[in-house]
Amino acid sequence: MKCLKDRLISGLLLLLSLALCFFSTQKFREQHKKETLFPSEGLASREMLSSYFPGLIDTPGDTEVYIYGGQNPGGNILILGGAHPNEPAGYVTAVILIENIQVSQGKIIVIPRANNSGFTHSEPQEGNLRGYSLETPGGKRFFRFGSRLTNPIHQWPDPTLYINPSGQKLSGQESRNLNRCYPGKPKGHLTEKIAFAIMEIIKKEKIDLAIDLHEAAPEYPVVNAIVFHENSAELASYSLMELQQIGFEFRLELSPNNLRGLSHREWGDHAQVMAILLETANPSQGRLKGKSSLSLIIEGKDRNYSKAAKFGLLFVPFDSEGIPVKLRVARHLAAIKILLSSFNELNPEKRIEVNHMPSSSQVKLKGIGQFLCPPYRK
Amino acid sequence: MFIVYHLIVFYLASHFIWYLFRENEFWKRVSVALVLIMFFLRLFLIK
Amino acid sequence: MSEAAIFLFMIATFALLAMVLKLPIGVSLVFSALAGSLLGGEGAALHHLVEGSFGYFDTILIIVTAMIFMKVLQESGILDTVTALLLKSFYRRKVALLLTVMALVMFPGMITGSSTTAVLSTGALVAPVLMKMGLSRVKTGALIAMGAILGMIAPPVNILVMIMGGGVDMPYVGFTFPLLIIVIPLAVSTSLWLGYKNIKIIEYNQMKEVLPESFFKNYGFRLYLPLIIVIGLLLGQSLMPGIIPDIGIPAIFLLGSFLGIFCGKPLNILKTTQKAIEESMPILCILVGVGMFIQIMTLTGARGWIVTSFLSFPPLLLYLGIATSMPLFGAVSAFGSASILGVPFILAMIDKNAILTSSALSAVAGLGDLMPPTALAGIFAAQVVGEANYFRVLRFCLMPALFELVIGMAVLLFAPLLDKLI
Repeated sequence: MKCLKDRLISGLLLLLSLALCFFSTQKFREQHKKETLFPSEGLASREMLSSYFPGLIDTPGDTEVYIYGGQNPGGNILILGGAHPNEPAGYVTAVILIENIQVSQGKIIVIPRANNSGFTHSEPQEGNLRGYSLETPGGKRFFRFGSRLTNPIHQWPDPTLYINPSGQKLSGQESRNLNRCYPGKPKGHLTEKIAFAIMEIIKKEKIDLAIDLHEAAPEYPVVNAIVFHENSAELASYSLMELQQIGFEFRLELSPNNLRGLSHREWGDHAQVMAILLETANPSQGRLKGKSSLSLIIEGKDRNYSKAAKFGLLFVPFDSEGIPVKLRVARHLAAIKILLSSFNELNPEKRIEVNHMPSSSQVKLKGIGQFLCPPYRK
Repeated sequence: MFIVYHLIVFYLASHFIWYLFRENEFWKRVSVALVLIMFFLRLFLIK
Repeated sequence: MSEAAIFLFMIATFALLAMVLKLPIGVSLVFSALAGSLLGGEGAALHHLVEGSFGYFDTILIIVTAMIFMKVLQESGILDTVTALLLKSFYRRKVALLLTVMALVMFPGMITGSSTTAVLSTGALVAPVLMKMGLSRVKTGALIAMGAILGMIAPPVNILVMIMGGGVDMPYVGFTFPLLIIVIPLAVSTSLWLGYKNIKIIEYNQMKEVLPESFFKNYGFRLYLPLIIVIGLLLGQSLMPGIIPDIGIPAIFLLGSFLGIFCGKPLNILKTTQKAIEESMPILCILVGVGMFIQIMTLTGARGWIVTSFLSFPPLLLYLGIATSMPLFGAVSAFGSASILGVPFILAMIDKNAILTSSALSAVAGLGDLMPPTALAGIFAAQVVGEANYFRVLRFCLMPALFELVIGMAVLLFAPLLDKLI
């Protein structure tokens, strides 16, 4: 009799375990749904990353590539958002470009979800929210807050020690960090394949200038920065002066020669393209962050960071006003705009003309939502 | 390697279930049930 | 509700469940995480709890598979045979024995960067030898636990430094010498401190009496095959990347276990796996619980509050903060401590040589593997020597651990001076 009772209890516990799985599954599954983006009328074509590298076909690493312009020859620009899906300003800036710009000369290619797999999960023990909503004139638009790394259900197990395609030794989990896997490998693991596909775009589309949009924690030294490959030194310093003139302070950081696998290093080394990486300060990805909340992601307010700033622990000013995502997006937009105009001045034979790009001052004033399509547009 | 690790998870999950029915102490069985949640989720490629 | 109050409430719930109601530590952690989530206004937050535990999923796989491998070694007679071999070679030389044992224990840690692997692989091999030569059960455990931690810190692979380096974009280059400065004095002093007094030089006849049965005559060289393959693969994946495939630690251990079936005394692998799972279950559940606990701490802001509080200490107290918080936070895991506290600490000392700073911090963070309730190195060392109460092993780790802390802090304080010397 005791035996039967014991089995019953074990059976119930097994059922409980399955039930808990079932109830948490729904939340985890939801994260795989992609939010719809609404490209502007300027869109020339929408490709998949796998059309540049077939090794990505039918993999979770395949992602949309939005192409603008191309009718009139000029400069070719690549803009990458969402290489780290826990850095909202990079992703949202790419989406704003997709939903607004028109290109009359040259070509702009935007990849908003560079690490598509990273958007499908969140990092254990970081306690992040699944996403955030931005108010548009026609209602709220939801955006996913993902993980810095590729989803382990897509790429697993991590090696003990990761030696990236450029030979740098890194801790194993960095094998899932897109911005450590360049220049990628066609037969490597998923993240290396994504990196390789992005290199293929750069080469096949004859990209002249490639911009990688990122964010970093406020306690991190390379923040509010333009990181540049030596190929783009002139462009970066030229742009910095112009950005300062319109009131944006940026640090200028030369891509270190011994830090391999990052976009600003390998894009320049392997494709001779002008490579730039932009960083803004995002408290929601930092180690000091307080309670996970919408206000932390959108308003960028956090008591811990205000306190840390008073003790001189941060590399950006931080007060009770926080650093809202609209300000960070505005910084990215300002930097992109000025990088493009500097590019035009330095390369008059390869001009790029972009229209309807929201200005940073307008975004700061009106908010991001004003420049996003309402959620119901077909 | 992905498949090998899947098989490892499957092998271990089956053993956990077997152990769940062998063990008599209640809280130890609760421990097994808690650990099993993760193994199921990885086995079904959910998390 | 302030973050501090939520954190204290979680700790109080844990203490109540674990100490008063005597629930298993892992289960208590799970319930205290749930309590914290409810109090923090997050509801039952099931998906957060589950997500938190996944932070240790890979560690759990390593632990279970390593435990299976250990059981296979025991039951197939491989462990006895190797012990006999080692005893025969070392029974007359005290210092040589201790230093070799220390190097052996450290070795897998040096290569894999994980103290657990060290304890469970070569730690398990040397334990019977040390005990046969007169070292007490608990001191043997302490020696293995400390050796494993030193192995984790020693070059060529120090994952703690890599994690910190990842947080500040510092490549893992130029660490061999600074890490050796820290590790070598510790390895020598720890092994002699724990073992010199108690290890007895024994006569050949005495040695023969304590010698476990060797099965070499029955099975020959193939007895050593599982060990050679496991150690070879563990080494190879870091030393010869690209040539030796990196199949990951769990697969290596399982492969070794599989080979073990054919290389020694016959055994039933299914039953052996069950034994391994039975023994490792408490620690598996602790890891699940700790994962959930941290997730809720982060979600409710308690983690940020703790990190910020430590960082805002004035300069002199900052060192005190490092010396206390990093080992304490290591109770969560040494890797967690390196990531959550190590990175901000390096940044707070950005004016110093980051290679020296992170090497020293890794030595301090490594001690976290001795911090209860997780105390990975302590728990497994106790298991390897057959000691039920791991606190008795930890007691003998105290002095060597304090010495490690002193050396780590000294390197940190004198970093500017050392910087000029090297």
